[in-house]
Amino acid sequence: MNRMIIGLMIALCVVVGAGLFGILDSRATDVFLEATRPDFQKIPIGVFGFQNGGGPEWLGGRIEEVLKADLQRSLVFSLVDLPGIGVKTREVTTADKAVFKQAAENGVSVLVWGKSGQKNGSKDSELLMDGFVYDSGSDEVVGGKRYVGTTSVVRLMAHRFADELVFRYTGEPGIARTKIVYVAEHGNARELFVMDYDGYEPKQITADGFLNLMPRWSPDRRFIVFTAYRSRNTQDIDILELATGKRWTLVSMAGLNITPALSPDGNFLAFASSQDGNSEIYKLDTRTKTSQRLTVNQGGDLSPTWSPTGREMAFTSDRGGAPQVFIMSGDGSNVRRLTYEGDYNAAPAWSPRGNWIAYVCRTPQRLYKLCIVSPDGQKRVQVTTGPGIDDSPSWSPDGRHLTFSSTVDGKSHIYMVDTDGKGLERITFGGTHNSSPSWSPAL
Amino acid sequence: MRIRVATMGLTVAVGILLVIQGGCSKKSIQSGGDAQSSERGMAKSGGPAPAPLGSSGELGSTGGLGSAGGMDAPSATFPDLSLSSKPDDLESGGLRGFDSVSGGKAPSEERLGGAGTMLAKVEPSESTARQIEDIRREQAKEQAASAEAGLSDVFFGYDSWTITEEGRQSLTQDAQWIKAHAGALVKIEGHCDERGTLAYNLVLGEKRAKAVRNYLVELGVGANRLAVVSYGKERPFCNERNESCYQQNRRGHVVVRSK
Repeated sequence: MNRMIIGLMIALCVVVGAGLFGILDSRATDVFLEATRPDFQKIPIGVFGFQNGGGPEWLGGRIEEVLKADLQRSLVFSLVDLPGIGVKTREVTTADKAVFKQAAENGVSVLVWGKSGQKNGSKDSELLMDGFVYDSGSDEVVGGKRYVGTTSVVRLMAHRFADELVFRYTGEPGIARTKIVYVAEHGNARELFVMDYDGYEPKQITADGFLNLMPRWSPDRRFIVFTAYRSRNTQDIDILELATGKRWTLVSMAGLNITPALSPDGNFLAFASSQDGNSEIYKLDTRTKTSQRLTVNQGGDLSPTWSPTGREMAFTSDRGGAPQVFIMSGDGSNVRRLTYEGDYNAAPAWSPRGNWIAYVCRTPQRLYKLCIVSPDGQKRVQVTTGPGIDDSPSWSPDGRHLTFSSTVDGKSHIYMVDTDGKGLERITFGGTHNSSPSWSPAL
Repeated sequence: MRIRVATMGLTVAVGILLVIQGGCSKKSIQSGGDAQSSERGMAKSGGPAPAPLGSSGELGSTGGLGSAGGMDAPSATFPDLSLSSKPDDLESGGLRGFDSVSGGKAPSEERLGGAGTMLAKVEPSESTARQIEDIRREQAKEQAASAEAGLSDVFFGYDSWTITEEGRQSLTQDAQWIKAHAGALVKIEGHCDERGTLAYNLVLGEKRAKAVRNYLVELGVGANRLAVVSYGKERPFCNERNESCYQQNRRGHVVVRSK
């Protein structure tokens, strides 16, 4: 009898609890659905331009160009061609209400303009950017930003302004200030580089002279974990602190030590090692420094990727012969196969939204392309098409884009694409071999 | 009468709700505790999976062919990576929102330094330059020694790590040389063509290298004289995009080790 009552209470708890969470959850996901569902109406935005007031001749144009590209990539805004709808893009001030009204009547929701130039009285030739925002909903100039810095941060000024706009209209941090770590051929070696998400400002972060592979960010963006061939014959998993260049070895077991991935809370490092014979997945507790083997079978298990909650991970396994994507709980239990289409599915990456897992799928034509699948396996979409070997998909923190490497233009380069296959953009142009991109978390 | 029943119903409902709430919160605390304790247990015991990795000491052991000189040993003192234990990074700076500009007021100044994530500059130091030179010299030495020994490589089919009849013949000759040179140590590098993913090709490369090693052991070579390493598709012999080039890259490369 007592048991029955307790059982009933627990059942009621679950129902009530689920109900409450359901309400909270649905409210949380509404924001997300808003900006990612197919019928989401992008916010029409017009950019008047940035007048130059002293400073380098290119300044205003550069800011406008970077800002427009950022707004376009945000997938939150759609850029309106102002002259195209009869709005003159002449010099604008906060007092030009008639111009704002005219644009608003032509369907533009947000207007942006500004000025840029030398900062008055600045000794170190500092530059200044002012940006202003008009909102047609409230019919007022809602505010502005002023950024000051050296020539080296001009792109960052525009990126930051774009992120402020995305944040104002979605409540989410934008991706304009995110970075991508990747592997580039350097001499005969493969070294790690970090660049802005749009491919600018690449900076080398390792110089070992052999192979450094498969870099991944720490959740706080301060560290990179990666596989380093410390000699030509042994592999370690190392961690590098970006601000100082300091480096530590986390894993140095016999055999392969590859595909490291830190959990979303930073408390665990999942990785693959072949020290017990074939490649298996292990989990290192970064606090206690102890590790645990998660997979046990004759096949190769590798490429763990954490769900955003940290409770599960997807990984590649060839336990059935050919490589396929599987999912398991964080403790190695409850393993189930996720991909069934095709005989080669590998390199999974779990979206920070949780709703998709991207991976490399081999098509019936034997092309290596990107696919996405929902974690329940119910929905599957091929994202990229055409020639070239696509590899190493990695999600943008807003879950709307993937960066990946492809040989579509001959040599391996880094690209980005929206999850619907649109917006394909090549982002590296120099070098002979760029691969293994990993997108940083948002700031 | 109806009102009384309704009131009673309401009272009962509220009562049940209160009891449920109490029960719920208790339950959630308990389950939180359970989760924590089981996590600690896992860390201590090495987990429920069979053949656990064991103690942290094993993390410190270097495998394969020994580590390069001048490098740090695996560290038990790497930095705290836990996200919760860190304050918000001020350098990266959260967004501050737009300032009011009503009445022609200028927005307040935001100074931007660094480029978001601070990056230390990498300057190849003397020791890395020396390491790069060492690698080059070692490689040249290995190549020369392997050529002199006349060791043959083994080639594989697409997606395959099965040793072909031709491969068996090459390895039979290789085994004769290795057995005749008791002091020589041999390394087998596994290589792949560019198709497929970088990560899976590292595993495939290792399977190929191990298939070669196992066959040499079958032929009577001591396993302790044979080391394996996989380079996946990262160090190809041929860079063109055609089958004859791919064939060159699907290889078990048999090398006389320089040390």
